[in-house]
Amino acid sequence: SGELYCSLPNPRNVHFESINMKNILHWSAPEGTGDGVLYKVKYLVYGDSKWIRKPECRNINRTWCDLSSETSDYEEQYYASVKAFLNGRCSDWIETTRFNPLTDTKIDPPTVSVSSTEKSISVILTAPEKWKRSPEGEPVSLLQVYPGLQYNVSVLNKKTKKRWFFSVSNNTLVVPWLEPGTDYCVSAQIHITTPLLHSGFSKEYCIATLKDKTA
Amino acid sequence: SVTEVRSGFTAIKANIQGRDPIRTLSILSYPHSLHKVQSSDRCCIAHHLFNFYVDKVFKHCKTEDSYINRKVSSIANSFLSMKRKLEHCHEKNKCICRQESTEKFNQILANYEGLNVTSAAIKSLGELDILLDWMEKSP
Amino acid sequence: EDALLRAPQNISILSTNMKHFLTWSPVIVRGETVRYSVEFQGEYEREYANGSWIPICECSFITATVCNITEDVSATVAYNLRVRADVGTRRSKWGTLKGFFNPITTSLTPPLMKVIADGYHLLVELEDMGPAFQFCVLYWKKGQESRMQQKMVKEVSFVVHLDTMEAGPDYCVKARTYLEVINRSSNFSQPQCVRAQGARSVWL
Repeated sequence: SGELYCSLPNPRNVHFESINMKNILHWSAPEGTGDGVLYKVKYLVYGDSKWIRKPECRNINRTWCDLSSETSDYEEQYYASVKAFLNGRCSDWIETTRFNPLTDTKIDPPTVSVSSTEKSISVILTAPEKWKRSPEGEPVSLLQVYPGLQYNVSVLNKKTKKRWFFSVSNNTLVVPWLEPGTDYCVSAQIHITTPLLHSGFSKEYCIATLKDKTA
Repeated sequence: SVTEVRSGFTAIKANIQGRDPIRTLSILSYPHSLHKVQSSDRCCIAHHLFNFYVDKVFKHCKTEDSYINRKVSSIANSFLSMKRKLEHCHEKNKCICRQESTEKFNQILANYEGLNVTSAAIKSLGELDILLDWMEKSP
Repeated sequence: EDALLRAPQNISILSTNMKHFLTWSPVIVRGETVRYSVEFQGEYEREYANGSWIPICECSFITATVCNITEDVSATVAYNLRVRADVGTRRSKWGTLKGFFNPITTSLTPPLMKVIADGYHLLVELEDMGPAFQFCVLYWKKGQESRMQQKMVKEVSFVVHLDTMEAGPDYCVKARTYLEVINRSSNFSQPQCVRAQGARSVWL
């Protein structure tokens, strides 16, 4: 009967992994099943009356499925579910917790471009883009999604090993009165207060101030 | 403030949403998403929703878990102080309720009354992030 | 019939920088260990939940005469608090805090602050008092108190850059805490002054 047919152990740890609203469903294979397990995936807009099958993730043997397109409206919330099949047996449908793209996504660090003069460095910060369906698609900056987005910028003087921090609301920072002919390394982090989200710090971008011509 | 409510909610979100088995019905979102409310109706809807949560929802969210009950109390009392600030606007007529707003709120009430009291209250509590996201969205 | 156990007395609140502690005098019963339990009631419970009280389990049957109520008393509304004593099977009446407690009345202290001159750059290091706290930092050239500049600082886990300094004059800095949720500030800290040098940072 149905119970026997669906007596395969369930997929485990079914959850969304989201970065810049690229929303990938992940799971682990059922315990003790080894190779040959196939899966199918469905998802639901929370509050909608029907689950929707994801054809591209039907009878797949990988343990992830890209649902970015189906969950791109970040003003809605979602559930997704996975079922496993092996040798004529299947598991139950196993669901995620409720997924809120706006609060449950992780944010990449900003990109940082640095230029210098003799006594100053200029930093231009760019927030990452929200995931989009195709490269030709209209880019949407996370700045538009999170209007309260700010940057924390760290400036390290490589000679003195001292690090300063700046809180920047717009996307440029100029640090004047620096020592000529000195290496400075800049890295930046995104900070959002509502909802409370922050990225890691970017890698360091180092640049040297120009040498003092009069020296 | 909203920050206090959001941190209180984040602490109990998984637990409360885990108690709501109904996926195919929402109080505040799809298909009548709160985000579709026009900006001119925001103040009125927010005013109604604060009363809705204080009058109808929190009192039916008692659980067997004292940690959850304490967090619900903290959220409910934060709502009360925010409600007072909104009442201030309402009294100064800066919060006009057009027919569209009333209809929208009645839709929310209908969603709520479509369930038994406890299920409706737990589902509404589990949807607090929808309300907070909407409130924090710039108009 | 057991003698009545006296309810805890001198119940009061110590509240600083939004950290709230309930304290009371010990109930003395010779040769016995007295245990205490604490409950709270917010304005919501009074007006919408039939005056219900909520126990704080971290402060249930404790021997200490202090309870950290910060997590529970978190909204800016009026709270009631009460304590009772237990010895064996004997239980006292509730001792209740006289009057309400509203976190809006917390006392705010200026932040610990360290001002640094690094070459021509004026920097400040501030105490991390929690996510809800912001800092209003004022800085000025000594003698030009009328031309103070202000910077609101939210992130304090770093050394914060304030401004650049001209070589020669002293620059002074003072700061106060600001809590948006209660829209109140502390007093200012004592000013600290430094001077820019070619490359050396100097304390004054």
